[in-house]
Amino acid sequence: MMLKLHQFQLLNLLQLASPALPVGAYSYSEGLETLVEQGTIADETSLESWLSQELTFGAIRIEAAVMLRAYQCFVNQDLNKLNYWNCWLSASKESSELRSQSWQMGNSLLRLLMNLQESNQGNPDKCDLVSLDYFTSAIAPPCNYAIAFGIGAANWQIDSKLALLGYLHSWATNLINVGVKLIPLGQTAGQKMLFKLREQLARTTEEILTVSDDNLMACSWGLGLASMIHETQYTRLFRS
Amino acid sequence: MDNSKIDIEPSLWHGKVDLVYAYQHDKTKLINSYSQAPLKIQSPFYPEGEAICHSVILHTAGGIVGGDRLSQSFHVQENAKTLITTAAASKIYRTNGKEAKQSIFVKVDKNAVLELVPQENIVFNNAVYFQEIKINLAPGASCFGWEITRFGRSARGEKFLHGEWRSNTEVWQEGSPIWIDRQWLLGSKEMFDSANALGGKPLVGTLYWVGQPVSAELVEKARTCWYNHRETQGEAGVTQLVNGLLCRYRGNSITEVKSWFIDVWNLLRLNYLSIPANKLRVWQL
Repeated sequence: MMLKLHQFQLLNLLQLASPALPVGAYSYSEGLETLVEQGTIADETSLESWLSQELTFGAIRIEAAVMLRAYQCFVNQDLNKLNYWNCWLSASKESSELRSQSWQMGNSLLRLLMNLQESNQGNPDKCDLVSLDYFTSAIAPPCNYAIAFGIGAANWQIDSKLALLGYLHSWATNLINVGVKLIPLGQTAGQKMLFKLREQLARTTEEILTVSDDNLMACSWGLGLASMIHETQYTRLFRS
Repeated sequence: MDNSKIDIEPSLWHGKVDLVYAYQHDKTKLINSYSQAPLKIQSPFYPEGEAICHSVILHTAGGIVGGDRLSQSFHVQENAKTLITTAAASKIYRTNGKEAKQSIFVKVDKNAVLELVPQENIVFNNAVYFQEIKINLAPGASCFGWEITRFGRSARGEKFLHGEWRSNTEVWQEGSPIWIDRQWLLGSKEMFDSANALGGKPLVGTLYWVGQPVSAELVEKARTCWYNHRETQGEAGVTQLVNGLLCRYRGNSITEVKSWFIDVWNLLRLNYLSIPANKLRVWQL
């Protein structure tokens, strides 16, 4: 049976944005472990407020906007710009911990994408058209996660707006899982929160689609401080 | 907002400062100096010997209002060492409807050092302000600096609940970005109180040292400088940049943030330049 293009795209997005994607996202808390220890995040309300405000004015918006730029660079085959955004993103991280996380996950995702492409050789479908080597060789390593995600989404011909939604959704899913473990919360409470965040995810996606390069900005003192303090937190479940 | 005020206060200053420093015969000299009101530059002086030239920039109008433009350019040539500070805190008054903008462009040549240690900014409620700092470093060049900003005149109970503040700092070395900091604060109760933003604290500070690799050991020492401040009230963090070090502070006390920053400055100076750092007399701490 032949799958239609939109069916391929949905399946590709589900795979790329899946929390089960083996890139290690589950091992990072992006400052939440510190915030929970400090008592700043202590229940469903405070976790939901943290996530929703990060989506409203936090650093994840810059990440998502650069993911979109990597996607567009891939579509336009603009290798210089792709490398530029990767360097730009590395320099804009709030902490060394967040930068290492992005690099580790980005390199893992790039490797995974290349593996998948290799295993699909001789079975060309409507997606996965361009050789990834051509793009990845243009990026001075290490590769940030948002860049690898943008490359993956464009290569798999996922609609850019859906890719943004998927990117933000997988970010939220991961941090809700962190909260479920650390606060702790029930699984159902976590799912309710994710369900409730849908409107905010959609709003942020719409804003990111139109934000100009000059307006790539965030208010990230809370995240920056939490993540810097986490680098030396005494007992930790989550990685630096 | 009352738009009729815009025409009554057509204060459109374009203050400028353009400074070039060169190292000649074991001395850092100010070889080119241009300023345009309301900015003024005091005569260079040498409290630490001739290798390091100190300069103080003065805002003669006392503060920045909507529509004002301030442009500053600093070029530190090969082997020169320069410290630049300001004579007083920078006040950014409530807007008349227009944005006030300050641009600082910095170029540091090979083996030269610039220290940019201005006094704090006080952003009044209702101010609309945009600041950009662009620093270009040659290989082996370095730059140390800080920005301390108070949102609202908190001593009189004022909070930054209206207006907008944006700050864009970029440091590039050999064509590569090594630090990009795009901060943004919209005056609102939500952002003022939010743990993600100010967390109810009106004062934030950022200290950067860029252009030289920084070891994990030095980061640890900069953290220890914070813990040496007994009874700390604010929050502090230290981390490595792509090629440098970054400290952040969020709290209430100018004294607390400034004395920590001076300790870290001293640590970095001793480590990289083999000279100590002390508070400057002009600061009157």
